[in-house]
Amino acid sequence: MFCEKAVELIRELHRMSDGQLPAFNEDGLRQVLQEMEALYEQNQSDVNEAKAAGRSELIPSIKLRHCCLLRNQRCITAYLYDRLLRIRALRWEYGSVLPANVRFHMNAEELQWFGQYKKSLACFMRSLGAGEGLDITQDMKPPKSLYIEVRCLKDHGEFEIDDGTVILLKKNSQHFLPRWKCEQLIRQGVLEHVVS
Amino acid sequence: MDAQSYLPVQPGVGMEENFFSLDDILLSHERLPVRTECTFPRLGFLEKSSDSPDIPEGTKMELPVWLSKGLYERKRRVLSVELPKVYREGWRTVFTADPNVVDLHKMGPYYYGLGSQMLHFESPENPDIAQTLLQTFIGRFRRTMDSSQNAYNEDTSALVERLDCLEKTLFRSGQSGLNGFQSWEKGRASTLTASSLVLNYRKRKINDVQP
Amino acid sequence: MSDSLSDDGSINQDDSQEDVMTPAELIAKLEEAWLNEKFSPELLENKSEVVECVMEQLTHMENNLQRVKKGDAKASVHRMEIDRIRFVLSSYLRSRLQKIEKFFPHVLEKEKSRGEGDPSLLSPEEFAFAKEYYANTETYLKAVALKRMPPNLQTVDLLKAVPEPCLDSFVFLRVKERQENILVEPETDDQREYVVDLEEGSQHLIRYRTIAPLVSSGAVQLI
Repeated sequence: MFCEKAVELIRELHRMSDGQLPAFNEDGLRQVLQEMEALYEQNQSDVNEAKAAGRSELIPSIKLRHCCLLRNQRCITAYLYDRLLRIRALRWEYGSVLPANVRFHMNAEELQWFGQYKKSLACFMRSLGAGEGLDITQDMKPPKSLYIEVRCLKDHGEFEIDDGTVILLKKNSQHFLPRWKCEQLIRQGVLEHVVS
Repeated sequence: MDAQSYLPVQPGVGMEENFFSLDDILLSHERLPVRTECTFPRLGFLEKSSDSPDIPEGTKMELPVWLSKGLYERKRRVLSVELPKVYREGWRTVFTADPNVVDLHKMGPYYYGLGSQMLHFESPENPDIAQTLLQTFIGRFRRTMDSSQNAYNEDTSALVERLDCLEKTLFRSGQSGLNGFQSWEKGRASTLTASSLVLNYRKRKINDVQP
Repeated sequence: MSDSLSDDGSINQDDSQEDVMTPAELIAKLEEAWLNEKFSPELLENKSEVVECVMEQLTHMENNLQRVKKGDAKASVHRMEIDRIRFVLSSYLRSRLQKIEKFFPHVLEKEKSRGEGDPSLLSPEEFAFAKEYYANTETYLKAVALKRMPPNLQTVDLLKAVPEPCLDSFVFLRVKERQENILVEPETDDQREYVVDLEEGSQHLIRYRTIAPLVSSGAVQLI
């Protein structure tokens, strides 16, 4: 049956329901586009024949192929759109700089989309209030305390806190830090919130 | 709350499909038994049981929901769609007797979704099908809800295994509510945690290195 | 700041001058908007005046804090208060942005068809964001796939492809002002529509569509 390749693309994403981004399947996409081209050409020639020779019995087959074309179009755009939703999530989970192994799974246009999304979001956040704006990708959970105990899960280097003090984030070291300064690093798995 | 950043397109409600929903695309890929009511010239290769270059009128074959829906017309019949077994009268009686005993995963897994899609095709049985879908759902809902609200830190796989896709989603959201409440009661709700997306990426990276 | 927070504001509130709002009233307004936005399935009217005032208030509080001596117990209480307000504000703006992204073609369409003088759904900044999001997404779909498709399939109507908010979802609410004769539509074919009165202070679980106008008028609070 037609459109099997297209559904394969959808299954690929559906299997990763947690929102991870698999590598862009350019090969799969190309195969679907090829099938569409073939369907379209066959339909063009059948349409011409139906018109010229009055062969209206060809119409059901033309219609069937057209349904397949629409289905392929839907699957491809749904595949791409869902990938965008995953890429969007990356901005919120990782911050504006993505690790290489994640970027590696995106194609050139997706990197472009991500760049523009980042810019739009930054522009929006800067425009809030009269001053320097508000970073709404922070403060994801309601605050319970100002300072929290954190353990360092990997070497991260120097880190400056509010009052200008610089501390060294070394693997397995433990610190007592302002909560809102740590949020991003905890999300990225650099620090771990220690709950006594 | 704000925690999950990947927000996939939800499936449509009732008979509706959402164009971009992955769930709806997979649901509409389910196959239906149909009978062609006209000849489809030059498409014989789609029907493997015959060598004819065409699909002749009167052929019984299986077509996906999306294609059946696309070809189906009330006025000019090019195909007629038959009911899959689970929606026929025999099975409807079973569902009405005790909806809790059936394994809807095996019968589905899109029992409600596909059943709702069947209502697009004109049939005198449609009101009965719709009624059975509704009653089956109501009959099973209580159990799905109760167990999702009471099974804390328990193995629920045996129960979940027998649920339809829609019920599974409900069960999961019930469980996530229960877990959220429990962690709030223990004062853990404000604990900052690493993004599960980030953690899963890391796991995969390790798996890639050590296949 | 602490002075104005303890002020109950009853002196300033007797006429319709909205601009004399105490900080406590301002924060209450923000929380109201936040909960409504969090629980309503559709994007609500923007409250940019509240957002701007809260931002100002935050800056003001930060500045006050600079003047307090280090180690002062009052300082950490104020710091905590700032953090909490900032959380509510961020969460509110996040909910809105999330809905704008989720429903962008419909949000923009509604904005386009808005009559002159009608209040705008989007703040100017949100409007700019929504337009960029639309253009960015459309460009991407075109560049990767649509332009490589047969000529009659090179466009997708995003208004049809991206789902609309589901106004039939159910919400919890608390009544702030008594309402009479609210028409409730039937759930099934064998039910009939009926009317209810919503008593002040009572709580209900109801279809959002039924009470949407009451949310925007402020007569009910989503919870």
